[in-house]
Amino acid sequence: MAFSLTDLAAGHVFQPTTFTITAAMARTYRDAVDDQQDAAYAAAGGAVPPVAVAALALGSLLREVTLPPGSLHASESLEFRGPVPEGAEVQCRARLAQRSVRAGWVVSVLETELFFDGRPAVTARATVLSPAEPSAPASGRLGGA
Amino acid sequence: MSVPAVAALTKQLSQAQIDAYAEASGDHNPIHVDEAFARATELGGTIAHGMLVLAFISEMLTAAFGRAWLESGRLDVRFRAPARPGDTITARASAGKQIDDSLRYQVECVNQTGEVVISGTAQVRT
Repeated sequence: MAFSLTDLAAGHVFQPTTFTITAAMARTYRDAVDDQQDAAYAAAGGAVPPVAVAALALGSLLREVTLPPGSLHASESLEFRGPVPEGAEVQCRARLAQRSVRAGWVVSVLETELFFDGRPAVTARATVLSPAEPSAPASGRLGGA
Repeated sequence: MSVPAVAALTKQLSQAQIDAYAEASGDHNPIHVDEAFARATELGGTIAHGMLVLAFISEMLTAAFGRAWLESGRLDVRFRAPARPGDTITARASAGKQIDDSLRYQVECVNQTGEVVISGTAQVRT
């Protein structure tokens, strides 16, 4: 059963996960974000948009941990280390690097490393704000989680 | 050495697109997809996933740098304001400069009123 991100202590290491980015998943993602760069991805060996790899890893993580309703994405750092092709099996390692409480928000910093074919493909560091009280209304000038 | 300009990219957001992104990414946070829930918050309505809007910046840089972006791109951004259904979002890059073997740009997404919804830096090896 999934548990809430806000219940975890700093330093928590998530169970490593593996997911496959099928051609259908990549197409669905590109359609959803209206990505028009098919030629560039084809020239890179049928690569998946690199932000998709990070986004799908987050989706994979959300099968293990839930985000409280109203959670917001405050910042994101991404580093792309190599193209990830459609059909790739991606290994995901993630940890909760920091956790603090400020002004009614739980501030969580998630660090994720994604590997394809044994090599680093994408690293990500996301800061997520979650209401300290789940019923509290979301507020603030921030993008969505 | 001159630094290449990066062409801006403009897209319109819709709730259908946000719903499609939720399905594609597995992120069904109600602040994005549940209008009743979102309306009851201080945000006053649904907002786009930050990673959906960030994808516009990455697409812009894929168009500019192709494989180099996929192999060596770096993004470091803050989500400054919500992007909402109906917004017209422009991703743009400016103030490019060469740093060692990389190009570095200021990047941002702004809405139709000029409000910055994302800002930060992007770097790519040349």
